[in-house]
Amino acid sequence: MCKSDNIYLPNLATIEAIVDETPDVRTLRLVFQDEQVRENFSFRAGQFAEYSSFGFGESTFCIASAPTRKGYIECCFRSVGRVTESLRRLEVGDTVGVRGPYGNSFPIEEFYGKSLVFIAGGIALPPLRTVIWNCLDLRDKFKDITIVYGARSEADLVYKHELKEWQERGDVRLVKCVDPGGAGPDFDGKVGFVPTVLEEAAPSAENTIALVCGPPIMIKFTLPVLERLGFTDDNIYTTLENRMKCGVGKCGRCNVGNVYVCKDGPVFTARQVKAMSQEF
Amino acid sequence: MPQIITEQNLRNLIDLLVKEAKLVVGPKLSGSVVLYEPLTAGSDLTLDALPRRSSKELFFPICEDILSYKRENGAMKVNDVDRSKFPETVLIGAPPCDAGSPAILDAVMSWDYKDEFYLERRRKSTIVGIACTKGDDACFCRAVGLAPDAEAGSDLFLTPLKDGSYACKAVTEKGQALVAAHKNLFAEGAGAEPVAFVDQAVEKLDLVKIKKWLEDHFEDPLWEKIADICVGCGACAFICPACHCFDINDEGSTDDGVRRKHWDACGFAKFTNHASGHNPRDVQNKRYRNRIMHKFKYYDDKFGKTLCTGCGRCIRACPVGIDIAEILETINTKHD
Ligand SMILES: Cc1cc2nc3c(=O)[nH]c(=O)nc-3n(C[C@H](O)[C@H](O)[C@H](O)COP(=O)(O)OP(=O)(O)OC[C@H]3O[C@@H](n4cnc5c(N)ncnc54)[C@H](O)[C@@H]3O)c2cc1C
Ligand code: SF4
Ligand code: SF4
Ligand code: FES
Repeated sequence: MCKSDNIYLPNLATIEAIVDETPDVRTLRLVFQDEQVRENFSFRAGQFAEYSSFGFGESTFCIASAPTRKGYIECCFRSVGRVTESLRRLEVGDTVGVRGPYGNSFPIEEFYGKSLVFIAGGIALPPLRTVIWNCLDLRDKFKDITIVYGARSEADLVYKHELKEWQERGDVRLVKCVDPGGAGPDFDGKVGFVPTVLEEAAPSAENTIALVCGPPIMIKFTLPVLERLGFTDDNIYTTLENRMKCGVGKCGRCNVGNVYVCKDGPVFTARQVKAMSQEF
Repeated sequence: MPQIITEQNLRNLIDLLVKEAKLVVGPKLSGSVVLYEPLTAGSDLTLDALPRRSSKELFFPICEDILSYKRENGAMKVNDVDRSKFPETVLIGAPPCDAGSPAILDAVMSWDYKDEFYLERRRKSTIVGIACTKGDDACFCRAVGLAPDAEAGSDLFLTPLKDGSYACKAVTEKGQALVAAHKNLFAEGAGAEPVAFVDQAVEKLDLVKIKKWLEDHFEDPLWEKIADICVGCGACAFICPACHCFDINDEGSTDDGVRRKHWDACGFAKFTNHASGHNPRDVQNKRYRNRIMHKFKYYDDKFGKTLCTGCGRCIRACPVGIDIAEILETINTKHD
């Protein structure tokens, strides 16, 4: 199966573990069934894959686990439609299809020796989580690491156990927040929207890279804040997540102007995004 | 030495190719319309009308299996499609606006990742193009760089002559091979004078200038003016020899079925709809703008080609009368 030149053919993977992050967000830990694929599969933080639920089709998710962790991959998805809901019905031991990795990635080596600020909203933590763990696994190579993560409500925060781990490990500054009205009585984070909370947290822009992932509206309000904090467009990275199907520059679905997000992206600097036609 | 083939020998060639177990496809009267259909005999070929749909589907079918899956003894198995079974194909009688389209689509199908479904069909196909003598008001191939006698994309090119025979030009090795394999059907000589081609009213467009205007006018009142009325039916894309957007879906149960690639269109309202509800192209004129931009700017940026052959099919098919040639002429006259 792996020897074929059929670019649409997925590798088979077994669901090894399931974590329910929120009522509608689930993490799957996947292990490739073919031993060779398991050994040879490698990817870079920021890349995505096409995951299939047989009988329903394919869905695009980033690879949410870190490339530094071998032997398995993880994806984390929200149930919103046909394919995601069918993926959600699968159980440990069931088979899914995975093709990829596709797209470009965060140039992590270029970040060595710098501080990092991760800014994520809602379900958009997974694409940054892969970078966060990748960098934490290489902790010595970076200066300060700040994570600003927010969701609509406490219940919508994903990776709760990992947020706790990041909070407690001492070498990461985690600022977690929920929108006004979204906090329960025991919430130990901040109340407010991500851009506002980021401005209060005021991470230094000096020798620092900012990585932003979230809904378009959050990104729109976050960029001016980063600018005020002193970040330049070349030091801000984000991912564009246009609807995709083929993932390999054929189906014509994901373009922003002449950019194929699936091939040229999904990772772009703020400078690249600003140069694009405003159609995302 | 130029060669000619009589109409009878052209039909005999089809008979022979069918006997050789090749798939021969050409314009054929199907009910009341002419469509590209498999020819079972030379007498099936009709050359007096432009087929209603383009010949693109020979290489890029409306719907095709890209894999099958089956659960056996509890374990899922995925099976590839045997592309070696794709038939050797001869497309015969395609005018330049159809014969030219694979030459355009090859670029997207073979950059970086290779779509072997399309490419294997291309490898196994020979295109016998024919100079066009039946254009109408909607045709504008000249405007986009083709012409009624353009050979681009054809392996063997036929030019109708006044005595009813055809002048033949082998454009590629595939064309030469086809002639060589059926030498006795072809005669050497220049033949009679060519039949006059359609004189298209449309002026040659300045595609470079149009592209520049598109580059500078992503936002422009023109888009609302011309495209608000588009109903997003997708007819223009489905009938177009150059459109190539597709979707991927499964058909079958969770235990046994096929995965299929099938045509899609950027004019459809949900084409770019995110699961969050956010839609980057949220109104119809933005979707139509993408259609024009893709054909006359993006594809050229990426592959150095215009994604339109000027066949005029979208103009004839559009239920609300949107005329792409008219839009291009409008843009062509803009100078800012
Ligand atoms: C690079 C990239 C990375 C991504 N990473 C992630 C990630 O890590 N996690 C994640 O959760 N998502 C991610 N996404 C988004 C994810 O791809 C989509 O949420 C997912 O594909 C939705 O698939 P679906 O089949 O379940 O939804 P669909 O069924 O396609 O539904 C999409 C929308 O259409 C509606 N709809 C459903 N069925 C129909 C129908 N029959 N007719 C009309 N409308 C219908 C739904 O209500 C929904 O609003 C990513 C996307 C990209 C491009
Ligand atoms: S855009 Fe219209 S005129 Fe151009 S090739 Fe497609 S159908 Fe023909
Ligand atoms: S055929 Fe006409 S109405 Fe239909 S999608 Fe094309 S331009 Fe719009
Ligand atoms: S997802 Fe198909 S072209 Fe990008």
